[in-house]
Amino acid sequence: MSEPTKPQPANPASSNARPARRSSGGAVPGILKGLATTARTLARPTHTAEYPDVSPHLPPRSRGVIALLEENCTSCMLCARECPDWCIYIDSHKETIPATTPGGRDRQRNVLDRFAIDFSLCMYCGICIEVCPFDALHWSPEFEYSELDIRDLLHEKDRLGQWMPTVPPPPALDEHAAEPAEVAAVNKPPRTARTPTARPARPTRVTPAPEGEA
Amino acid sequence: MTGLDLAFAAVGVVAAASGLLAVTTRHVVHAALWLVVCLGSVAGCYLVLGAELVALVQVLVYVGAVVVLVLFALMLTRAPIGPRAEISTSRLHRALAAVLGAGVTVLLASVLLPLAHPVDRHETDTTVLSRELFGTWVWPFEVLSLLLLAALVAALAVSRVGARSGDVRDGAARAEAELRTARGDAS
Amino acid sequence: MTGADALEVVVRAVAVLAAFLVLPLLVGQTEHKVMAHMQGRLGPMYAGGFHGWAQLVADGVKFVQKEDITPAAADKGVFRFAPAVALVPYLVAMAVIPLSPDVVAADAPAGAVFVLAVTAVGILGTLMAGWASANKYSLLGAMRAAAQLLSYELPMVLAVASVCLAAGTLSLTGIAHAWSPWWLLWQLPGAVVFLVSAVAELQRPPFDMPVADSEIVFGAYTEYTGLRFAFFLLSEYAGIVVMSLLFTVLYLGGWQGPLSDQLGWLWTVLKGFCIAVVVIWLRVAWPRLREDQLQRLAWLVLVPLALAQLALTGVWVVLTA
Ligand code: SF4
Ligand code: SF4
Repeated sequence: MSEPTKPQPANPASSNARPARRSSGGAVPGILKGLATTARTLARPTHTAEYPDVSPHLPPRSRGVIALLEENCTSCMLCARECPDWCIYIDSHKETIPATTPGGRDRQRNVLDRFAIDFSLCMYCGICIEVCPFDALHWSPEFEYSELDIRDLLHEKDRLGQWMPTVPPPPALDEHAAEPAEVAAVNKPPRTARTPTARPARPTRVTPAPEGEA
Repeated sequence: MTGLDLAFAAVGVVAAASGLLAVTTRHVVHAALWLVVCLGSVAGCYLVLGAELVALVQVLVYVGAVVVLVLFALMLTRAPIGPRAEISTSRLHRALAAVLGAGVTVLLASVLLPLAHPVDRHETDTTVLSRELFGTWVWPFEVLSLLLLAALVAALAVSRVGARSGDVRDGAARAEAELRTARGDAS
Repeated sequence: MTGADALEVVVRAVAVLAAFLVLPLLVGQTEHKVMAHMQGRLGPMYAGGFHGWAQLVADGVKFVQKEDITPAAADKGVFRFAPAVALVPYLVAMAVIPLSPDVVAADAPAGAVFVLAVTAVGILGTLMAGWASANKYSLLGAMRAAAQLLSYELPMVLAVASVCLAAGTLSLTGIAHAWSPWWLLWQLPGAVVFLVSAVAELQRPPFDMPVADSEIVFGAYTEYTGLRFAFFLLSEYAGIVVMSLLFTVLYLGGWQGPLSDQLGWLWTVLKGFCIAVVVIWLRVAWPRLREDQLQRLAWLVLVPLALAQLALTGVWVVLTA
């Protein structure tokens, strides 16, 4: 029985005191302040972005659409495998390049047949772009590619390639940022020639690598 | 028979018909709405007879306030849409009411109809009206307004009594007592 | 009645109807724009080309196309009839409000009482709508509306009575004639009471408890669609027009101002428009009042204030008479 009685005198008292304090303090100034704030906003320019008439100003790293630089793609399938939605479709076949030098070995190369991203599934996480080791995928800020039919959101290779010109150059680095890896690699002092005695077994395997890459 | 007679007869018929509907309809809210029509056409009668201000006050007070109050009260009840058996009166009641109503109508008609004469409209100026009201009828008027003022103040006082004189402690005690009885009932 | 008379009646009726159709739209568009800019937005920009001037026309076309639904459980007749009851009184009220001594459709001898009486009838439309919808939100909305309108009717009538007393007439033209700038001070409490209760009577924020969308969807109008819903909206804006013009005529001298002989009606419209903007402004600036605060304001602030104003006016009139 004593349980409900104890808090009760306290509760109404405090709830009584609160409105009194509020009304004595800020009712009228508050009312006027509301009027003043709205009037001030009325006099100022608006914040509305008139989008279809005035194109929006997007930051350079906006995630609008994914562009494909086909020449860079090696059909390594990394992006397709990492995509959480499995919305990248890649078909490729191997092509044999006959040896250029007599007695040389025929070499094989991946040829990209199909590269498609289904933007009706894509969640713009950017993982594919992060994992691509060959800089074949890029973010473009273009975002106006809605379709009347959801199936048209499946962008094939050529469509993805068309986005490429809209990819902005990478933003400048911060003032004291570390050198980007590519620049650092170029600026590195050239390697000294290896002494043949150091690794006798390797040379045959190492030397073709730069050729194959090109 | 002049145009005025015709107009008076028309609003009179509307008033009588809607009044009849107000008491015979079996939807309680419809009754209130027919009452609006009835009061409105009574105001129309005043208007035809030239008492403009009285007609307007009739609309303002009866339609604008009294019927709104009636509707408000009806909404607080469980006023159903459509007729309900449990809130309808019995056959006997209805028959008795019809007889009584018809009797009163006959009585009134037999007394008043011989006195009827063509509408003679005399414009009642607001000034004339106020002179009458505050000259000849000033005492009844003042007493009435005093009564209404007292009622107003009393209503305010009644509605405030719980909040002020009840005080915080009183309210709490009462709530506690209620709680206790509620628990007692439950256990 | 001669042909000329009949023609005059027709012309006046058409003029009132035109004003009734145009002015509320004007106020509505002003609300769109003013509210938008007060919130840092632009508001409608496309319909009609220039700053979305035709937005409300487009809205009207949209409303016409919508399906007219009557809920199955509703009281059909009352439900269908309610919008007309809400709308027509304001149309009638507009007919007696003078824009200038000459520009008035019907100069009623007791115009002030007439407007009050007629707008009081409009309230019935809301109640009918709320009850006939067979929807609990509608019923709650209608109950709130009834409680609110009953409480605010009294201070409003008292405030108007004070002005009528000061002018010594019930005619709106007469009141505006009797007005002098000194009334701005003398009748100030009455004017404030009138404006507040007018906003409450129109159920506009901060007195929009009856249609509080976050609590009871849209109050009494929840079940309405299409044209009938549009009629309720129109009646709200027509109400703003009527109340603003009435305020102008009662407290701001109507057509009085420089060149009032030629431009009288323009002055009335201009002043009325300013009042309408104030009504819109209140909506943007202030939050909604709670039901108990609402009643408290009406009975403990406005009614005593209006009574005090009435007493003050009475004493002054008797002393100077
Ligand atoms: S951005 Fe889209 S396509 Fe790329 S990994 Fe994420 S979901 Fe897949
Ligand atoms: S886009 Fe990049 S990660 Fe994907 S298959 Fe081509 S090279 Fe590999």
